[in-house]
Amino acid sequence: MTATKPDLGTWVGKGIDRVDGPHKVTGSAPYSSDIALPGMLHAVVVTSTIPAGTVTKIDTSALLTLPGVRAVFTHENFPRLNAPPPVLFGEAPVAPMQDGRITFHGQEIAVVVADTPQEATEAARLIEVTYAAEPPLLDPAGGRLETLALSPDTSRGDTEAGWAAADVRVGATYTTPENTNNPLGLMGCVAAWDGDHLEIHDSTQGTNALRTTLAVMFGVPESGVRVHVPYLGGGFGAGLNQWPYKLLAAGAARELGRPVKLMLTRPQMFKLVGHRPSSEHQVRIGAARDGTLTMIEHRATCLSSIDFPAVGLLTSGTPHLYQCPNVATVERTVRLNRRYPTSMRAPGEAEGNWAIETAMDELAHELGMDPLELRLHNLATELDPATGKPWSSNAVIECCRVGAELFGWSRRDPRPSSMREGDLLIGWGMATAGFFAYMPMSQARVTVYADGTAAVRSAATDIGTGTYTIITQLTADLLGLHPQQVDFQLGDSDLPASAHSGGSGLASSLSNAVIDAVSHLQGALLDLAAEDSPLHGLGPDDVVCRDGALCRRDDLSVRVPIADLLAGQSLVEASGDGRLRPPDAAAAGMVHAGAYGARFVEVAIDPMIGRLRVRRVVSVTDGGRILNQKLARSQILGATVGGIGQALFEDTLTDPGTGRVANGTFGDYLVAVNADVPEIEAVFVGEPDRYTPSGTKGIGEIGLVGIAAAIGNAVFHATGRRLRDLPMTIDQLMM
Amino acid sequence: MRAFLYDRPTAVGEAVAAVAADPQAAFLAGGTTQVDLMKDGVWTPDRLVDITRLPLRGILVESQQLKVGALTTMEQLAAEPVVEQRLTFVREALLLGASVQLRNMATIGGNLLQRTRCRYFRDPTVSACNRRSPDSGCAAVDNVARMHAVLGVDERCIALHASDVAVPLIAVEASVLVDGPSGQRRIPLTEFWVRADEGPSIENVLGHGDLITEIDIPLLPQGWRSGYLKVRDRASYEFALTSAAVALQMDGDMIGDIRIALGGVGSVPWRAREAEEMLRGTHVDPVRFEQAGRAVMASAFTVPGTAFKVDLAVRTLSRQLLTMTEASR
Repeated sequence: MTATKPDLGTWVGKGIDRVDGPHKVTGSAPYSSDIALPGMLHAVVVTSTIPAGTVTKIDTSALLTLPGVRAVFTHENFPRLNAPPPVLFGEAPVAPMQDGRITFHGQEIAVVVADTPQEATEAARLIEVTYAAEPPLLDPAGGRLETLALSPDTSRGDTEAGWAAADVRVGATYTTPENTNNPLGLMGCVAAWDGDHLEIHDSTQGTNALRTTLAVMFGVPESGVRVHVPYLGGGFGAGLNQWPYKLLAAGAARELGRPVKLMLTRPQMFKLVGHRPSSEHQVRIGAARDGTLTMIEHRATCLSSIDFPAVGLLTSGTPHLYQCPNVATVERTVRLNRRYPTSMRAPGEAEGNWAIETAMDELAHELGMDPLELRLHNLATELDPATGKPWSSNAVIECCRVGAELFGWSRRDPRPSSMREGDLLIGWGMATAGFFAYMPMSQARVTVYADGTAAVRSAATDIGTGTYTIITQLTADLLGLHPQQVDFQLGDSDLPASAHSGGSGLASSLSNAVIDAVSHLQGALLDLAAEDSPLHGLGPDDVVCRDGALCRRDDLSVRVPIADLLAGQSLVEASGDGRLRPPDAAAAGMVHAGAYGARFVEVAIDPMIGRLRVRRVVSVTDGGRILNQKLARSQILGATVGGIGQALFEDTLTDPGTGRVANGTFGDYLVAVNADVPEIEAVFVGEPDRYTPSGTKGIGEIGLVGIAAAIGNAVFHATGRRLRDLPMTIDQLMM
Repeated sequence: MRAFLYDRPTAVGEAVAAVAADPQAAFLAGGTTQVDLMKDGVWTPDRLVDITRLPLRGILVESQQLKVGALTTMEQLAAEPVVEQRLTFVREALLLGASVQLRNMATIGGNLLQRTRCRYFRDPTVSACNRRSPDSGCAAVDNVARMHAVLGVDERCIALHASDVAVPLIAVEASVLVDGPSGQRRIPLTEFWVRADEGPSIENVLGHGDLITEIDIPLLPQGWRSGYLKVRDRASYEFALTSAAVALQMDGDMIGDIRIALGGVGSVPWRAREAEEMLRGTHVDPVRFEQAGRAVMASAFTVPGTAFKVDLAVRTLSRQLLTMTEASR
């Protein structure tokens, strides 16, 4: 790493309000749904009503006579596209509407374009499609098991020997259902061509991957494709992939020579922008009588679609959280005639943690040991047990201890059903959590102006988590400015390239790119210093920017106004370009650690009617350096709500014979509402991570991990009944 | 878009005549069900007669009953002090029945006429729905059923009547006044709805052009207490899996008289007369409470997704009876 440790502390960490807040609350922030261009037409997607087969006929002639209808695209007249290019964590599943083949119920088979969305919607409703249906593959038992690229099998030690050597053994099967990401913002885009140049306003989580995909698939230069996403109504992973709707809008716009807007409906959001696939986990854990783990075996499967595999990662955390000499993970998927899966907040970890942390609770019960003590006895805090190398940081023990103290865990009566209030059974449960470190490449440019203000530019996106604000705070500290003097421009693929908002990776990636850019900016400014300047001859790391001046780092009174440096060379601005420069981990001798957490939950259950209420949650997170306390806490609160939903409600149901989504509305697919959410105490512990200069860890997803298991473990404590299948609904809770 | 005609008359006779004259016309009140159905494409009227300007709002309190204008909103009825005092379970059902935003839009007449929430009924791409399209079959029976009925249903249709407030209203034997092409008539709610197993495509006894103008709700006699228990998957903003509306009058430690209706279980709001008869004039006895519930649920028709509701309904009734008789136990 070239940059020296940055001087952070005036603004970084402070819980300042979102810098984009006023735009959002006044409605002036333009989302893709707000975009209207001159001459713009409106497109509506038509989806298949069978899960497998081919479209034999779509009669479009009648539709074209309807008022306002301009075109109907099917596989017969939609432009031929090139194959999707590989892009990081977000490729296009397929080139859509290239042939009449159908691989799932709800697949895009036609696009109706009209003057208004109402006209397009009505025409889409009247479309008549003839199919040649084929028997669908919908039963996982009939599918072929495949490996997943991101989830190789892992093994250390000898698990059978560890099983044989164990004094106490637990083994069970745990399941999680399909969940749908459901960002509040409906996804959609406006595509407009000018010759071979394409501009698209989209609700993507990553501008550059979409740019590359569009350029390759439409066979145009990447330099001529521009993606705009200044604001995004959430995503939870649904905005990562280059979904067919984007390609359909771009294709229709090119054919018609006019801008085309395509917004998905809420029911389509359940079908066309991915989901968290259902999973099954077979777990065996063995331990010595004192609680020392002797083996962990985690075998998991999830469902994939015919043309597009799941992300997996179900077993990704298992080798790393606990010291254990004998660990094996095996992960497979089954391809079925089902919708395209994708990442959903804490992909894989949320499911795998449910299985492992429930099994650990079962083990604690069998051992007659406090579940917290079992964790503290086995957590791998110094070295990564998979590699034997030291973590770059790991405060999971502190998470557990601080959480236990805040929760009052020591007052827990360990016997199931021992804590009662009238008719109610009270349960206390806990779980630990980890989330893998992921830090994709980002670039940024920092520019200073003669008036003392600065701009940061990057093609990154703010998914709603606060990217605008944290980078503004960071840059203010790096340049010695007030945040109001810093303008962060993002969401435009013409800006320096950036990773997506995903994998909890952007804050770390982008903050380190900005630190690097400021270092280069300091070098650029030094280049402007005349030979008689007091700064002449210093290196980039010998100076810092403060209040519009370039200063000696070790003597801030030696300073030259940036305006003077610029004027001396007849310049009006100076810039530094930076990128993430990850250290060579092997050389550094450490393992890049992700975030950690510990969750403590109290539930109250009326066993007669199966009514469960989560009464309080204490969520402690090791997030490395926290860039904004308020926004970081909001991430944990929101993820906790998502975890409550995963635990108790969320379940995308499909008709067994067709794979049709059976509950694809917000009235039928339940997410947690305010009344389901208790007081949540969210605190951060730990130190800045030493792997990168910014010291951050991603915290967008860790907050969800462990909530479901903590709730399930609390249910066991309350009732003595062990639930292993999510969601935990009333029919499972009637005693 | 699909065009339709829109009228907004100011007199009841005018509204009735407008709908009666056009087989493809329908009344529109708060719109909280109908607009959804139009968006979903399962209901396509050619003419909407907006009745919200008709003089059918307000509550007249009489000594033995309330006369509630059909356009009175759920929120207005819930806020009426006499409802809180003498019809506690009606108020509770209203407050648990919808968010305040919906309660301010939805009318009490419209609430009684709400259509089933069945996703197969509400998805026009599903062809098998005997309720929408007679003799086409029932997709719900073979697929995902959780929010479906187990009483008054059979394999032809398991659609649930999801109203909360209709449950206590049928317990107190409210009635509706109807204006129609053939004049005015009164229909007790006990005779208003048609069970799915008596004809899945017919939901109630109203004819085309019939308009509910008033709901008459008998007040519970002095000395009665009532309560509504709603059991649902999440804590708010969700229809009942099961619910129990109970009104009773204690006679010492005996149940003097009692009215019971169940929600979340029937193709129509379900009056539990068997349970009332088993409990009237008996001592408070949790075992008998459960037996009474079992008697009501004995005729249940279940599919795999709804099987748990039989037990849950029994427990819901028992829990509510236990709560209301706690002082006598």
